[in-house]
Amino acid sequence: MNARVQSVGNPASIGNSEPDTFPKYLLHNARRFPSRPAMRHKTYGIWQSWTWSELLNDIRAYSMGLAALGLKKGDKVAIIGQNRPRLYWTFCAVQALGGIPVPVYADSVAEEMVYVLNHAEVKFAICQDQEQVDKVLSMGDELASLQKIIYDEIRGLRDYDHTDLHPIDGVEALGEAEYESNGETLWLEEIAKGKGSDLAAILYTSGTTGRPKGVMLSYDNLAISASNGNAFDHLTEKEETIAYLPLAWVGDHIFSYAQHYTAGYCVCCPESPETVDSDRREIAPTYFFAPPRVFENLLTAIMVRMEDAGRIKKRMFDHFMEHARKVGESILNGESVSFLDRLKYKIGDLLVYGPLKNRMGFTRLKVGYTAGEAIGPEIFRFYRSLGLNLKQLYGQTEASVYITAQPDGEIRADTVGRPSPEVEIRVEDNGEVLYRSPGVFVGYYKNDDATAETKTADGWVHTGDAGFFDQEGHLKIIDRARDVGKLKSGALFAPKYIENKLKFFPNIKEAVAFGDDRDFCAVFINIDLTSVASWAERNNIAYASYQELAQHATVYKTVEEHVDQVNRDLASEEMMAASQIRRFLILHKELDADDGELTRTQKVRRSFIAERYGELIDALYDGTTEKYVETEVTFEDGRKGKISATVEIRDMEMHEHSYSKKAAE
Amino acid sequence: MNMHITRSQELRMTRPDDGLNKGDPLLVVDDISLSFGGVKAITDISFDIKKGEIRAIIGPNGAGKTSMLNVINGFYHPQEGTITFRGNKRSRMRPHEAANQGIARTFQNIALFKGMSVLDNLMTGRITLMKRNLFWQSIWRGPAEQEELEHRQAVEHIIDFLEIESIRKTPVGRLPYGLQKRVELGRALAAEPALLLLDEPMAGMNLEEKEDMSRYILDVNQQFGTTIALIEHDMGVVMDLSDRVVVLDYGRKIGDGSPDEVRNNQDVIDAYLGVSHDGE
Amino acid sequence: MSPAFLNFVEICLNGLMAGVMYSLVALGFVLIFKASGIFNFAQGVMALFAALTLVGLQTGQVPFSHLLNAMFGTEIHNWGPGLNTFISILFAMVIMIGLAFLVEKLMLKHLVNQEPIILFMATIGLAYFLEGLGDLMWGADVKTLDVGLPSGGSFWWEDVTREWAAEGSDYWGMYIDKLDVSATLIAVSLVAALSIFSQYTATGRALRAVADDHQAAMSVGISLRTIWVIVWSIAGFVALVAGIMWGSKSGVQFSLSLIALKALPVLILGGFTSIPGAIVGGLIIGVGEKLAEAYLGDIMNFLVGASPNLFTAIENWFAYVVALAFLLFRPQGLFGERIIERI
Repeated sequence: MNARVQSVGNPASIGNSEPDTFPKYLLHNARRFPSRPAMRHKTYGIWQSWTWSELLNDIRAYSMGLAALGLKKGDKVAIIGQNRPRLYWTFCAVQALGGIPVPVYADSVAEEMVYVLNHAEVKFAICQDQEQVDKVLSMGDELASLQKIIYDEIRGLRDYDHTDLHPIDGVEALGEAEYESNGETLWLEEIAKGKGSDLAAILYTSGTTGRPKGVMLSYDNLAISASNGNAFDHLTEKEETIAYLPLAWVGDHIFSYAQHYTAGYCVCCPESPETVDSDRREIAPTYFFAPPRVFENLLTAIMVRMEDAGRIKKRMFDHFMEHARKVGESILNGESVSFLDRLKYKIGDLLVYGPLKNRMGFTRLKVGYTAGEAIGPEIFRFYRSLGLNLKQLYGQTEASVYITAQPDGEIRADTVGRPSPEVEIRVEDNGEVLYRSPGVFVGYYKNDDATAETKTADGWVHTGDAGFFDQEGHLKIIDRARDVGKLKSGALFAPKYIENKLKFFPNIKEAVAFGDDRDFCAVFINIDLTSVASWAERNNIAYASYQELAQHATVYKTVEEHVDQVNRDLASEEMMAASQIRRFLILHKELDADDGELTRTQKVRRSFIAERYGELIDALYDGTTEKYVETEVTFEDGRKGKISATVEIRDMEMHEHSYSKKAAE
Repeated sequence: MNMHITRSQELRMTRPDDGLNKGDPLLVVDDISLSFGGVKAITDISFDIKKGEIRAIIGPNGAGKTSMLNVINGFYHPQEGTITFRGNKRSRMRPHEAANQGIARTFQNIALFKGMSVLDNLMTGRITLMKRNLFWQSIWRGPAEQEELEHRQAVEHIIDFLEIESIRKTPVGRLPYGLQKRVELGRALAAEPALLLLDEPMAGMNLEEKEDMSRYILDVNQQFGTTIALIEHDMGVVMDLSDRVVVLDYGRKIGDGSPDEVRNNQDVIDAYLGVSHDGE
Repeated sequence: MSPAFLNFVEICLNGLMAGVMYSLVALGFVLIFKASGIFNFAQGVMALFAALTLVGLQTGQVPFSHLLNAMFGTEIHNWGPGLNTFISILFAMVIMIGLAFLVEKLMLKHLVNQEPIILFMATIGLAYFLEGLGDLMWGADVKTLDVGLPSGGSFWWEDVTREWAAEGSDYWGMYIDKLDVSATLIAVSLVAALSIFSQYTATGRALRAVADDHQAAMSVGISLRTIWVIVWSIAGFVALVAGIMWGSKSGVQFSLSLIALKALPVLILGGFTSIPGAIVGGLIIGVGEKLAEAYLGDIMNFLVGASPNLFTAIENWFAYVVALAFLLFRPQGLFGERIIERI
């Protein structure tokens, strides 16, 4: 499968043939695109950029410095922080020495981090700043294998004991000196020794249950998947992307590292997490990737702005968006559309869509992807109708991302597309989807049992998701295989399906549906503070906290209308009509990753929530209309506290099954 | 070899050194009395602020703390007593002259330029560091341009230091209270002051915001070696932050010393507990 | 196009250009009001004084010659043929800056922290002083001012617009004074320059800072007195430009100081603290006046059924009626900040 030429022998020849590791790609890119921008970073208000040849110089110095500090082949290096150029360089600098980078979620709590650092036996930890250094130092004794901590930002660290603590600048200076006196031959030889089947990185999956598992990915896994992805979407060295998702997430590793090296395009790092929106506007990426949440938030922000806009502006917006809904997608898909409609769409582009895209930073967008979770069909269509080539993709860490993706011109809101290049897929009898591909992981690090459970002997991987292929050959995912349950009546119950329908409403941020082995379906709802607060402001409704707003009568009424709408929708689908929502409540606190209710990638932890809010679930099913609860919460600084509230529960009317009627019409 | 700005370089204050060492008295207040039409606000107060320390001025409401600050930065002119700053005994002085000598301050009720952006507010904070005077600049701008760029760079470092990148271009009036407090600190810092006066920097903040602000104040003191005098009501914060504390009550000094000394001083305890006229 | 419509367009255009003149004067008021809260009654006289000085320099008049001649029986009038226009303008500007220094030194400095009404009275005093000083220095006769701007009607424009009129109508073309056009261009560039100055220079920032919060401005090291001198200098500069425009149009005479009165309704319309307000206010008043003069009179006469002469010279009072209406319904003006007086 990976019949790639392996370059050995004379180091000077590295990068001439098709590379098979990322350090070789670095040399290759410095040769083929020496003066093209490779990376940008906004610091002190200015975009700084590095060309590929500058990148090579920096990474070489950094890498040789790491070698001087004692990093050797096979050593693991933790990378902890946000999207900063030097943290990305660390991947390559470490790999050049035969080391294995292990990116860690920067916002994970100390306990989680200790586990990962120990499990991976990291020798060096590369930290972005004081916050991360402090976190690692605080684990001190528990980290048996850790020898050195290296940091990017000095702020606040000047007075620390620098015996085993080094600034990246210092490491680079060390490497620079080494290079001046002894040259780069040894370094290049080390790179030449690397081969495609070597371990490239270990990515820990945050996992909805249990301890994180270390997914081992080889260079072949990553580089072949990335190259296939480049070919599939015609990505070249001319793309610009913005790196803003966690480094430890496989999506970012592919988009901001593997594809960055294989295609040779430019990756831009934002100034800070808070400035991503305005930085994206300045960069206007051509290739963009985001979980649905990001697209939802962007849309909510626009809608809120429009609510506050003048009447004429709002009218114009509504009018042209209506038109975009009508013909926008057809135009994007290259279907035939009347001349007048095209003309009107052009005018709309001038007046509304263009400025909107500019505002969101999508003016130059060639391909945009959403993945990680199902996106609300209305949200998906909104972006498509503006003329943005937004597509869906289905992937996993274990697959080096790509399992299925939507080819241009074959975009559906409710499917995840066809199998990606070189990927085979089969669906088991119980509905579970399995795949086999060059991207399939080597195994879970130090966890053979889990590997055996997930990956069959002949290379098939269990996704854990339930789905099926539709008539066109597109894969449709309904839910996690083990989350799909049955109501007591025996009818199918797919919680995520219902939750996604609810979350499509801008006022609803999160929903958790219950119903497996129960008489009926009932839900917890989290309102969206941005959206509801702006509404409250316009209507002069005073509130002091999320809790107060969540329990406001008018808010309840609005949410009740949304739930009713969802029930109407459900009633029109044969498989789902039975799981209409009979009772719901609005939770008194926002679900939060700090409280363990969401994963670090903001996915709902269903079983944890079921346990934590057991009382409320009981109340949903025992007919009470009010329930007093106390809940423990963790503040941002790590302190714990309690909030209490009396939560109201509402009953909903059930709609008649309308699918039969529809069929009769 | 590398032209890129790295983040391993720290922000430094560039105001010329005054030859004083850490621990030398930077400002000496000697026997100051201030009254407004017969009402005595401050009576015979003396204390000093040493270079490099964080000095807290505390006391119940109406003790004369803010008046004291206003005397130091020239808003009020005391009827009696002298003030010596950096070894120079000073005469009647206007606020902008105090600013020129390196005294920057924040206000209890935030006095930012509300209609201007965060960036413009911070740039205005550097006015005393601009070599050409305003009148000259208004006539001929050419040479001022390079200077403007240099000041912008310094301001960007402060923006980075206070982590307010995302609101750089936002008009200050639209920011929430806590952020405005931070911007005001930024504007004072932009002047690279020798003495930083903070009038209740944490008033009206929640616990989390207070912790952030304390962090910034400590960082300013440690990283730039800036001498800070602050008024604060939250005793916990005062005791944690300050090196020395002076206590005022009814315009008189009733205590002066380390936080521990002051905590155990009977007069101070009385002022706060026994004969308290403080709402808190 | 019908002649009636072309007439309407002509009236609007002329109104706009007259409005530009009002805007120029109002601008000077706003600048000073924003920076110091002083309503400068002398702004109109400053324009007059600037224009007088300019003419004096241009024609080589000896200052105070009347006074000198009367006292000493001499017969001196001119010290030479006069200065070149550009140099005269520069000198006039220097004199206006000098005036700003004097105003600060002799007047404002002593009135710090006084009530606005007292400062206002002081500017009335200043107005009379300046008027008298101008008279003594340069004489009271009406002078012509020519700085080389093109003037007279534009024949080209007349020809173009005549073409536009419907075939066979006896439309004579639109009349537009070239002087008005150049005044408009100059005013536009002046406003652009002022806004660039206030947005992008350290001095501009300081001016905005003072306008925003006096106390905070002082605490960062801005000297209010320096700012006052700068602001009065800028106001002097604006007055000079306004003086040149009005002077070129209708001669330099003492009635020029009365244009300040016309600026008042403009300010009420636009708001005392808004530069865009001064501009838009001026334009609205300019166009409104001309339209009212042309159409409102006829309509009123028709409605009342009076003789055609009852409602005439509407131009003279229209602006004040509009201002009155604004005071009743929107006292902060179109762009001004809402002023809430608390007791």
